[in-house]
Amino acid sequence: MKSATLGEFEELVLLTVAAQHDQAYGVSILESLEEQLDRKISISAVHVALKRMDEKGFVKSRFGGITKDRGGRRKKFYVITAMGKSMLDEQYALRTRIYQQIPKISFS
Amino acid sequence: MKPSPPKYALNFLRWFCREDYLEELEGDLIEVFEMQWETSPGRARRNFNYQVIRHLHPEFIKPITSENNLINRAMFQNHFKVAWRHIFNKKLYSFINISGLGVGMACCMLIIMYVKHELSYDKYHQNLDNIYRVLHAYKSFEEKGKPTSPEEFQVWGCAPAGPALLNDFPEVKSYFRFTSPSNMLFEYEDKRFQEDNMVFADSNAFDMFSWKFLAGDPQTALDEPFTIVLTEKIAQKYFGAEDPIGKLIKIEENEVLKVTGVMENVPANSHFTFEGLISMSTFKRFRPEIFDWWGYVDFYTYFTLNDNASIVSLKSKVPEFVEKYTGNWEDSGYDIAFEPMADAYLHSVAGRQPGETGSLQNLYIFSSIAVFILLIACINFINLSTSRSLERAKEVGIRKVVGAYRQTLMGQFLSEFILLALFAAVLAVLLVVLFSPILQDLTGKPISYQNLLEWETIVYLLSGIVIIGILAGIYPATLLVGFQPAKVLKGTFKSSGSGAALRKGLVIFQFSLSIALMVGTAVVFSQLQYLRNHDLGFDQEQMLIVDFGWDGRVQEQIETIKNTILDHPNVLSIAASRAVPGNFLPNAGTTIEGPDGEMVSYGPTIYEIDQDFIPNYKIEMAAGRAFSRDFPNDTAQSLILNEAAAKMWGYHNPEDMIGKRFDQWGKSGMVIGVVKNFNYQSLHNKVEPLSLRFEPYSMRKFSIRVKSENIPATLSDLEKTWAALVPHRPFIYSFLDETFNKQYKADVRFGQLFSVFAGIAILIACLGLFGLTAYTTSQRTKEIGVRKVLGASVGSIVTLLSAGFIKLFIIALLISIPVSWYVMNRWLEGFAYQVGVGVEIYFVAGFMALVIALLTISWQSLKAAFANPVKSLRSE
Repeated sequence: MKSATLGEFEELVLLTVAAQHDQAYGVSILESLEEQLDRKISISAVHVALKRMDEKGFVKSRFGGITKDRGGRRKKFYVITAMGKSMLDEQYALRTRIYQQIPKISFS
Repeated sequence: MKPSPPKYALNFLRWFCREDYLEELEGDLIEVFEMQWETSPGRARRNFNYQVIRHLHPEFIKPITSENNLINRAMFQNHFKVAWRHIFNKKLYSFINISGLGVGMACCMLIIMYVKHELSYDKYHQNLDNIYRVLHAYKSFEEKGKPTSPEEFQVWGCAPAGPALLNDFPEVKSYFRFTSPSNMLFEYEDKRFQEDNMVFADSNAFDMFSWKFLAGDPQTALDEPFTIVLTEKIAQKYFGAEDPIGKLIKIEENEVLKVTGVMENVPANSHFTFEGLISMSTFKRFRPEIFDWWGYVDFYTYFTLNDNASIVSLKSKVPEFVEKYTGNWEDSGYDIAFEPMADAYLHSVAGRQPGETGSLQNLYIFSSIAVFILLIACINFINLSTSRSLERAKEVGIRKVVGAYRQTLMGQFLSEFILLALFAAVLAVLLVVLFSPILQDLTGKPISYQNLLEWETIVYLLSGIVIIGILAGIYPATLLVGFQPAKVLKGTFKSSGSGAALRKGLVIFQFSLSIALMVGTAVVFSQLQYLRNHDLGFDQEQMLIVDFGWDGRVQEQIETIKNTILDHPNVLSIAASRAVPGNFLPNAGTTIEGPDGEMVSYGPTIYEIDQDFIPNYKIEMAAGRAFSRDFPNDTAQSLILNEAAAKMWGYHNPEDMIGKRFDQWGKSGMVIGVVKNFNYQSLHNKVEPLSLRFEPYSMRKFSIRVKSENIPATLSDLEKTWAALVPHRPFIYSFLDETFNKQYKADVRFGQLFSVFAGIAILIACLGLFGLTAYTTSQRTKEIGVRKVLGASVGSIVTLLSAGFIKLFIIALLISIPVSWYVMNRWLEGFAYQVGVGVEIYFVAGFMALVIALLTISWQSLKAAFANPVKSLRSE
């Protein structure tokens, strides 16, 4: 099986999903990312990333309860799956490994 | 209150978005919207719209093949299959439909190509909208100061108007003049030709007009005197592969021009053309005096305006301008007007144009023919489909019972018709490619189907197919869809009677158009015949014209040359003149004593001739005598007029005019004769007042009347004589009747084009009629069988089958008479001499149309009448 890949933006969204454990949904992810990255992000980009990762099996989702907010529409909460977590771990390990190969150079 | 997001955007989202994602997306979008609403409602709405559009992402869009659509696709395949089978099962009807529609579409496309070409004139000039041209009017003294009608103006005018406009009006940015083409003898090494289309032009030609310059510097090419810019064609002719720049061409044996530039050949869609531009300063060296002579006519003047300047403000200053420069004229009146160059080809009514002009009326006529042809083809389609709708009634019934919607059925039939139209379009494209060379021949214009190879046309073609498919199919489709399944399937449903009245109406319409087109063809051809046979007032047969281009050496020994040529046994007579019938003639202010003894001036046309001209052309005298060798003073003191001129000066009896005093162009003396009117111009115009003067040094052409036998031998003898007499001049000859009739070239072309398209229209109408009778006859096979068994004759059966049609035909004839009478009379108004649109034309055209139509029907009705009744009655 071709192993699923993780794009850069998808990785950020996945990290946020993991960080907001069980309380992550479209708008909350959007707000958190905008705050962290300090730039405007389109909600559609977040949605696309979420749907792709759902298909790849990195996240799973459930509907929340009906509230008066959001015009009565239910929220869809995302949770990271084991596969998603291991993907994140792998990415993190990979980056650290390469990072450590950087020789000590002075940039002064 | 909660704010609500834009409704349309939300609906749009609901329309395209997958249902399982919708709630989440909608919720998130609304939440973001509500948050932004707090700070800025406007931005929130805009952002919502924008975000909805951003969600148009493959991830969220509904899959195209949902279960519902799966059925649709199967249905579509089925529709396609049924349409295909239907087309191939009924080969005759499909052939009639497709070929009729295809030929109609092809004609339409060809006509569109022609119309597009006519509309494209001068469009290649980038400055087109800012270029205007000056129109001049040279009126009689009596008319001075009065408003000038558009027809009185002419494009050909004087030299100083352009500089004066630039000088007096800040609005004018620049002016450009060129002269009418001069004929010149060009010589380079051993190559020697008479060039007929060389003009003198101001040096800013290439600033104003967008011709491509191929070699040399366009800015300075025409600055110096004795420089020339050649077109590619002429450069090729003299220099071949050599570099033309800097080469010297000898003209008229005594001057030398330096080639300073080569430009593209003037595009065919230009309202004036030339083959070379000689610098205006050269002309100034030749004739400096005419450049401030307001009465000397030889220039076409164009000018451009500064940015923000308006032609309207310029126009308001015209009276003042005219008064300033020509107010002191005592014998004539001058007026000026402006015309956008964009109007030059199709919209100008001014006289003396620098080139051929188009006819807007003809474009309208051809466009209407295109529409008619297409209509006739569509009507065939409608008639055949409605009359045969019964055949498909069962199919409609079953489909409805099984649960077809009206829309699906409608879609089925429409797509079937569009498929037919598509086949027709393929045929049409093939025909266009095949026949565009013929269109080129007919119109004499370089129209290529390659112009159609643009995205634009392909889009038009495709939408045309759909529109035609729908136009032709909407009625039959509605009819078919309207069938009630219960009736149809029970078998009590007999005929589609509702369509019959409409069908009759459409047949009447088709045949009205066909008869009108036939009448049109008949009128156009009888008019052309009339023009050819009209008595012109002079004898144009066997008249050989030799052009020597005002050659000074020829003029000096003109009598010797005439006598030598006359020695040839086959030459009957010879005369010299400045022009021959059909050529341009100048006008001049002329003062003649009126009947009450007062001197009156008008501006008649001037014809410069010698003593032999009038007898040579067999022009009859109405009064007085012609120029004669017995009166040596004729060159200085005599003038001959035509009857129209006599009338203009108030003489009802030409005899009374003889001996009256005259004053014209530096000559004064007595009127010695009045000739009968002769048509020195095409029959589009009435014979205008004319004055004939004897001017030995204005001669340019010999008119040689030769015997009709053995013309080639006469020609080669004369060529030898010419080479001995005038070795430095090529022998350039033509026959008068040919050149005179060339003036009707445009009319002949119009006639040919008209008749071709009219013929096609009639053909398509007959094709439809054929299909219709084939069907109705097949419906009545049984009836005919029974009639025959009971003793009906072949004649009575044919009459039975044709009688209905003849009734329709007569109605069509009655409708077409007033329409075609009106239209053709409008067309004839373009001719001063018209053939009458008489009853006989209707009789002939109507009779021909009837014969063609009856022949079409009789094929089927005779077949039915001769068929053995046993065959048709046996099968039950």
